Amino acid sequence: MGGWIRLLLALVVIAAAAGWWLTRPVTLGPEDLPDYTPDAIAGERQFWAGGCASCHASPVDGKRARGDDKLRLGGGLELETPYGVFRVPNVSPHPDDGIGGWSMLDFVNAMQRGVAPGGKHYYPSFPYTSYAKIPVRDVMDLKAYIDTLPAVAGRIDEHSLGFPWSVRRGLGLWKLRYLDTERFAGPGDAHDPVARGRLLVEGAGHCGECHTPRDRFGGMDRSRWLAGGPDPEGKGRVPNITPAGENLADWSASDIAYYLESGFTPEFDTVGGTMVAVQENMARLDKADRDAIAAYLKAIPPVE
Amino acid sequence: MSLRTIHLPVLCVSLSLAALALAADEAVDFETIDESIDTRKALMEDVGAAAKPVGLMLRGERDYDWTVALESLRTWQDVGGEFGKHFPEGSESGSGTEAAPAIWEDREGFEAALTEWSEATSSAIAAAPATLDEARPVLGAVFNTCKDCHDGYRIETD
Repeated sequence: MGGWIRLLLALVVIAAAAGWWLTRPVTLGPEDLPDYTPDAIAGERQFWAGGCASCHASPVDGKRARGDDKLRLGGGLELETPYGVFRVPNVSPHPDDGIGGWSMLDFVNAMQRGVAPGGKHYYPSFPYTSYAKIPVRDVMDLKAYIDTLPAVAGRIDEHSLGFPWSVRRGLGLWKLRYLDTERFAGPGDAHDPVARGRLLVEGAGHCGECHTPRDRFGGMDRSRWLAGGPDPEGKGRVPNITPAGENLADWSASDIAYYLESGFTPEFDTVGGTMVAVQENMARLDKADRDAIAAYLKAIPPVE
Repeated sequence: MSLRTIHLPVLCVSLSLAALALAADEAVDFETIDESIDTRKALMEDVGAAAKPVGLMLRGERDYDWTVALESLRTWQDVGGEFGKHFPEGSESGSGTEAAPAIWEDREGFEAALTEWSEATSSAIAAAPATLDEARPVLGAVFNTCKDCHDGYRIETD
């Protein structure tokens, strides 16, 4: 009898240890960073491509930031989702309230492994599953750019999530299934617009985070890549942007690029909803980047 | 103060003024909710139809033609003065409206957005640009007012 209890206890301890090990934060080390001097000017392109401001810029009088207010990354936006309320943190270079005290390695681990300094997992409302794909030098450039932005004071409260989502450690398991840390080699041929567009769409642009439907554990269903789905922020649907999507089927690549530049559809209706902020970001990129995104969207498999 | 203490002439003048005010707004006041929604949708269809030729010019896919652009601008000027009258209380939802609750929560902001649209339209008409290069900034300014208003006061429906 005593032997059975000892065996049971041993199994519980082993299971707990295995669970703890499986959910541990996995990070990069100093040896994973290249010897590279980051370029803040190149980082600005990553900033707009990555849409950092759309979530992290502090709302002004309850409305989304516009113009230069997009550079004040004090956070505070609240995202209401089926899991609870996510509160967007301060990522301005403020030394205490923002990320001003972070090392380059801290920043890369946050962006590409979803791990905070100190080892806490981030929730995937921060789209590190996409950012993990960005070439590491581009991520380093982005930090150099953010370091030039205004320091904004004020800490943001924690998320308010329901159980079991409130158990942060459990995200380790989620990452085992959904965080693919293999980076793109990047467009080896910079003149190949599809490769350049892929990097922008699948990496920094994180288009799939809204335009790809999610499965019941909140991971992207990659069999329906960019095929649209329910709006993660509640009512309505996010459109299918594969060549089979009813919105884009009749659009030429130049229609898509023009939409991203101007915010107007081929019928000259205007961009709407959360896509407004995305379009304003895309308008800040080079024309070659918008053309590359359009070329990529025309090249991906159509999904009905 | 009781009704008896009000002078008859004062009462008459007040009632006449009230009647005048009603008459001026008659077309709108006696519109049903569904009619309001249908009317404003039809007006916005006209706006969209007028946007296409001008948009194609701005995009460089159609030759610049001021007479065509002017026709669109006149359509927007007419609708701009009319559109805001068709958002009565009670027409916040139904009949496939894309009007955002913000129109009723922030009426001043909505009216201001419409005024910006009308002002940009009037400026463009007054400028009467002769070439596409001259037209880009003034017509672009009008198009931007479309986006600004849709951003805050239109919702996306399925």
